[in-house]
Amino acid sequence: MMTSLRTKLSPPVVLRQVALAILLWLTFVATASAHAALNATEPRDGSVLSSSPTVFKLSFSEPVSPTSLKLTLPDGRPIVLDAFTVKDKLVEITPPADLATGTHVLSWRVVSQDGHPIGGSVIFSIGHPGGASPRTGDTVDWPVRAGLWSGKVGLYIGLLFGIGGTFAASWFARGSRSALNFTVAALCIGLAGTLLSAGFQGLDTVGEPIRRILDPEVWKAGFATSFGRTVVFMFAALALAVLALASGPGRSGRWISLSALLTAAFALCLSGHASAASPQWLMRPAVFLHVAAISIWVGALLPLTAEFRRDGSEAAMALRRFSNFIPLAVAALIVAGMVLTYVQVLRIEALVTTSYGWVLIAKLSLLVVLFGLAAVNRWRLTNRSERGERAATRLLVRSMMAESLVVLLILGVAATWRFTPPPRSLIVEVTEPAVAHIHSAKGMAELQVSPGNAGPVTATAIIMKEDFSPLDPQEVSFAFSNSAAGIEPIRRKAERRGDGTWGSTGLVLPVAGIWAIRVDVIVSDFEIIRLEGEIEIKP
Amino acid sequence: MLKKIIIAAAVTMFTSTAAFSHVTLEGKEAPAGSTYKAVLRVPHGCEGKPTNVVRVQVPEGFYGVKPQPKAGWKLEKVKGAYAKAYDNHGTPVTEGVKEVVWSGGNLGDDEYDEFVLRGTIAADLNAGATLYFPVIQECPEGLKERWIEIPAEGQKASDLELPAPGVKLLPRLSN
Repeated sequence: MMTSLRTKLSPPVVLRQVALAILLWLTFVATASAHAALNATEPRDGSVLSSSPTVFKLSFSEPVSPTSLKLTLPDGRPIVLDAFTVKDKLVEITPPADLATGTHVLSWRVVSQDGHPIGGSVIFSIGHPGGASPRTGDTVDWPVRAGLWSGKVGLYIGLLFGIGGTFAASWFARGSRSALNFTVAALCIGLAGTLLSAGFQGLDTVGEPIRRILDPEVWKAGFATSFGRTVVFMFAALALAVLALASGPGRSGRWISLSALLTAAFALCLSGHASAASPQWLMRPAVFLHVAAISIWVGALLPLTAEFRRDGSEAAMALRRFSNFIPLAVAALIVAGMVLTYVQVLRIEALVTTSYGWVLIAKLSLLVVLFGLAAVNRWRLTNRSERGERAATRLLVRSMMAESLVVLLILGVAATWRFTPPPRSLIVEVTEPAVAHIHSAKGMAELQVSPGNAGPVTATAIIMKEDFSPLDPQEVSFAFSNSAAGIEPIRRKAERRGDGTWGSTGLVLPVAGIWAIRVDVIVSDFEIIRLEGEIEIKP
Repeated sequence: MLKKIIIAAAVTMFTSTAAFSHVTLEGKEAPAGSTYKAVLRVPHGCEGKPTNVVRVQVPEGFYGVKPQPKAGWKLEKVKGAYAKAYDNHGTPVTEGVKEVVWSGGNLGDDEYDEFVLRGTIAADLNAGATLYFPVIQECPEGLKERWIEIPAEGQKASDLELPAPGVKLLPRLSN
């Protein structure tokens, strides 16, 4: 008995058994590993439901674990679906209650046991197909919104008081350092605000809650938007302003501060509602001019005030230079502002019927106060304080402080524009279809998406050989994806139409932007051509 | 006995790590100029439906092909001319089976089966090249799974959504 047990447990035997166990286990694991495929969904792709579903089901061919589940709402906003359970091959998701009517896109990304990620999208509609049902306020992520707003305000403070302040100090006050503390603080706020904006922009883009702010994916998504370019150029502008301060009074400081100002204005015309509007040749320069002019004006307030309070000998001279220059800046500001307003609002009644309009009215009211203060300064106080009247100077200092406060309020109001679509974009127009020509060494497709706007669309394609001769494929299918908006491929089979084109209706592209498209052409039983390209979908 | 089990386990492990939802070949490598038994492994049907038809395209350079009949499946051999003549023990072969169709079967989505054809890999093919066997699974309601994508220059089979099963060619055995 003892002997046999010892034999059984002798080292070589144990080792061999362990080795065998490991090998068998590896075999098992290896056999179990597999790519997964989506077998069925509930709701079905392309279906129209009478009421808001209580559950989403995704059924796969293999066990999977979800890595990202998102729902794009009819108004284009994405929300993260984090209430889900996985039962072997079935993923069950509890959606938010009472989804709005219109078309939704359920984007899923899962990883199968072999670690291979796959993704796709399911489109379904509640009530009727269609997009852009009115924005509802109940699912707004307020912390993210507050973050976006504070980031924007911080960015504006850095721009106007920091970069504008640097510019004004070096050009009007001969590099005076009276307001250096304020300027440096504003630049720091600007830096923090810009950085914060990038992160919150990412959260807003992918529809994640605030606790994911440190996720690199979120930041990547933020930088991938047009605002990402603004952030990069703002950093450059802030760095130039610091350099201008560091180089002190003198020619080089002046020119560096000018380049900081121009870089910042350029940064702001790279993104935002106004810059996105057409005609672009008009709108982008208008934004540039508007930003540059307001920065010079506002930037001058604190350095001049500080100069007067210090009672510096330069104060009067600085004020004179500022007063000579400022009418130009204000004229540019007003003209650019009027252009922007006209294009964005289009119809006068939109001023009171849209939230964008209300924000504009609030901003204009504050602007009237600002202009009132500025006018008093310019025509009542400037000459007197230049002559050295103490009382006038005291009043001027107070008035300019008040101006700075009003400016802060204006910045706060302007930053809320981030959340209000301009009336221009709310006027639904039937526009030109979006088109793309895609070709590879084996064939080509002329793809048309009409209308070329976000929402329900029809995609059609003409398939040709690479030499433009006709190609008569067996099957054609489309896959639309938008990684910036977190939408996995929406796959649709195309139907052959009488005129030789291939078309797919019932497709919904819920957000504007650059969409990646793939046209899969089954040329013959055993031959497939994949044509990959991009198409721009307008808001 | 133990040695055999370990070897068998090791072989299974190393040959089965590939993606399983795709149709794959059991033998991943074979020398040019050798007789090769292509065992096509079909792991599941289309979107949960059973597979009724399995079609495989015989690659150019794989000649003298004989498919293995399967009980419960009708076997069809589509013959045609080869692009060039191949040598069969001194006799040139210019035509043969180009496509094999197993039809009328019913392989459930939760079942597994293998489909076999045997033939000769042309001796003048380069080592390092891959012979691809594009496969189509046909299911009820006109559903099809196509495993027909062949990687382009610089692509890996794992990059493809519908990779065709392939066998990598080894240098010709010297004898």
